[in-house]
Amino acid sequence: MKRILGVALGVLTAIGGFVDIGDLVTNAVVGARFGMSLAWVVVVGVVGICLFAQMSGRVAAVSGRATFEVIRERLGPRAGGANLVASFLVTMLTLTAEVGGIALALQLVSSVEPRLWVPVAAFAVWLVLWRVKFSILENVAGLLGLALVVFAVALFQLGPDWGELVDQALRPRVQAGEAVPTYWYYAVALFGAAMTPYEVFFFSSGAREEKWTVQDLSQSRANVLVGFPLGGLLSLAIAACAAVVFLPRQIDVTALSQITLPVALAGGKIALAVVILGIVAATFGAALETALSTGYTLAQFLGWSWGKFRRPAQAARFHTTMIVALVVGMLVLLTGVDPVKVTEYSVVFSAIALPLTYLPILVVANDREYMGAHVNGRATNALGLVYLVVILAASLAAIPLMLMTGAGA
Amino acid sequence: MILSDLLDAPVHDGAGRRLGFVVDVRLVLDGPLDGGVLVAPRAHGLLVSPRTSTSFLGYERTGERAPALLARWLQRRHRGTFLVLWEDVVAADPDGVRLASAYRRWSPALPEP
Amino acid sequence: MSPRLRRGERPFPPDEDLPEPARPAGLLLDARLHLLDRQVVDVDEVPTAIVDDLELTESRDEPRTLLVSALLSGPVLGTRILGGRPPSSRLHRVRWSHVAAVGTVVRLGVHGDQLDVLWVERWLRDRVIGRIPGGRHDPE
Repeated sequence: MKRILGVALGVLTAIGGFVDIGDLVTNAVVGARFGMSLAWVVVVGVVGICLFAQMSGRVAAVSGRATFEVIRERLGPRAGGANLVASFLVTMLTLTAEVGGIALALQLVSSVEPRLWVPVAAFAVWLVLWRVKFSILENVAGLLGLALVVFAVALFQLGPDWGELVDQALRPRVQAGEAVPTYWYYAVALFGAAMTPYEVFFFSSGAREEKWTVQDLSQSRANVLVGFPLGGLLSLAIAACAAVVFLPRQIDVTALSQITLPVALAGGKIALAVVILGIVAATFGAALETALSTGYTLAQFLGWSWGKFRRPAQAARFHTTMIVALVVGMLVLLTGVDPVKVTEYSVVFSAIALPLTYLPILVVANDREYMGAHVNGRATNALGLVYLVVILAASLAAIPLMLMTGAGA
Repeated sequence: MILSDLLDAPVHDGAGRRLGFVVDVRLVLDGPLDGGVLVAPRAHGLLVSPRTSTSFLGYERTGERAPALLARWLQRRHRGTFLVLWEDVVAADPDGVRLASAYRRWSPALPEP
Repeated sequence: MSPRLRRGERPFPPDEDLPEPARPAGLLLDARLHLLDRQVVDVDEVPTAIVDDLELTESRDEPRTLLVSALLSGPVLGTRILGGRPPSSRLHRVRWSHVAAVGTVVRLGVHGDQLDVLWVERWLRDRVIGRIPGGRHDPE
């Protein structure tokens, strides 16, 4: 019974934790402009993140080493260092977006300007990182994030033309009035939103935080293979809600209040309250994860002691890094930059940085010195090589597409 | 000296002909036990390759075969790597390594433990 | 492009079968492959540093023998990536005699507190993190 509860908790946490501000914004923006014709990207991204997370969790559980420790060993300091800089910057950008997301969600509740919420949000994130145990932090944020299921509920309530939605998804084509490069730009953005690099650092370091061993592998596999696809369905629900409400009216989504509008239309004030709770929980959880990831990446690359399982005094450089990251993110947001714009850039840059983090995991998952008998099977390797090609393609196409389309304008 | 003085240093034979670059130093643990737990590693030989850049993951030395495509590509990059024993090294400094005229080339493969 | 010999300059055919040398009695390690960029942990398994470089010294007893005398960490990483070399006084050494085992991590036989490489960690612990309330609180 305890095992079933454990698995259920893991799966629910994975679903609730899957969606962050990047998924929220990108899916809504895409739904409003392209309907469901980019749904296939979400599917590709979900399979990718399942593969990715599974491998990195397995590497951490079997070898006792987390992602960045291994990246430096396998790539050498020069390439590993370039990887660190890119990953660190992208994760910091994502952290800034998440803290901005918290502030935006709080604005929806309180009508207080987001800039005033930013220091509160940043401080709250730090306080939780400082005092709350890792597993509690993960579970609470994940479970509260399940409130976002209200998007799926709202979708049903809105009574959409299901045939139309399915048709858009199964026969993707560029909408009238949109250019082909813009379609592909948003494909890359959606891909980056689903396969965020920080997820891998976080997942593998989290495996070490919770001291996973080989016995925990099957549970982690369940969490990933059940939880992440369901989280992907949630992303699709967000896109579908935007498609149903905004696409026919040719309205672009640019603000968080628009993203929640379909839910408010479908379920009134109560549904709106639930969705805001879900957004605050999901972005707060993601802010915790990205802040921890900034600490993990730097500490693991440079060999510092790290981890929430150590008292802060024993991981001083790790905690200092997170404090500095939060302060920098806060300062950036206080300049008044639009957090939604920050989010849109963070997902594209995530796609650009993805190959750097993915290749070492694929290689180490095959390394018998680390993995013993748990090296990748042939099917995993075949899928891994396919994804390597996809990830490289997305990464290389991102900047030209961004320049061609003016960042999706 | 430090290790990175040797790594990527050009290697010349007695006649001054360039043979490649040092990509690694093979150590053997049979030095003196200096009050520690493990004996000190002694330089056993140098691995010389036609190119510098990290021998990515040592694929050409360990016989690691997966993932197949990557393994094949990485092995090709360092074809022509050979081992030279430390006895055959006449001079070693960051400007280059000079070998004795009668040096011998050996297989770079790491013996199975 | 990293420096390399052009195909025409290569003195030897690329795919020859070279013999294996006589095997010495002792564990064989390739410095770059097995030691460099490896995590160093202390006797309590606390991460201490990463091997950024190795210090090689001539043996006192046998003049032509080169021994690894210390693991190096710290500023030497920057020079390893960009070139050059810090002066001997700035190298953060972990003497080889402190090393207890070499595997996927390098395990030391001493506590990290005794080592110079951790001075930034100790400084931050004493001056910053330790001063914030709850900093020394056990999280478990």
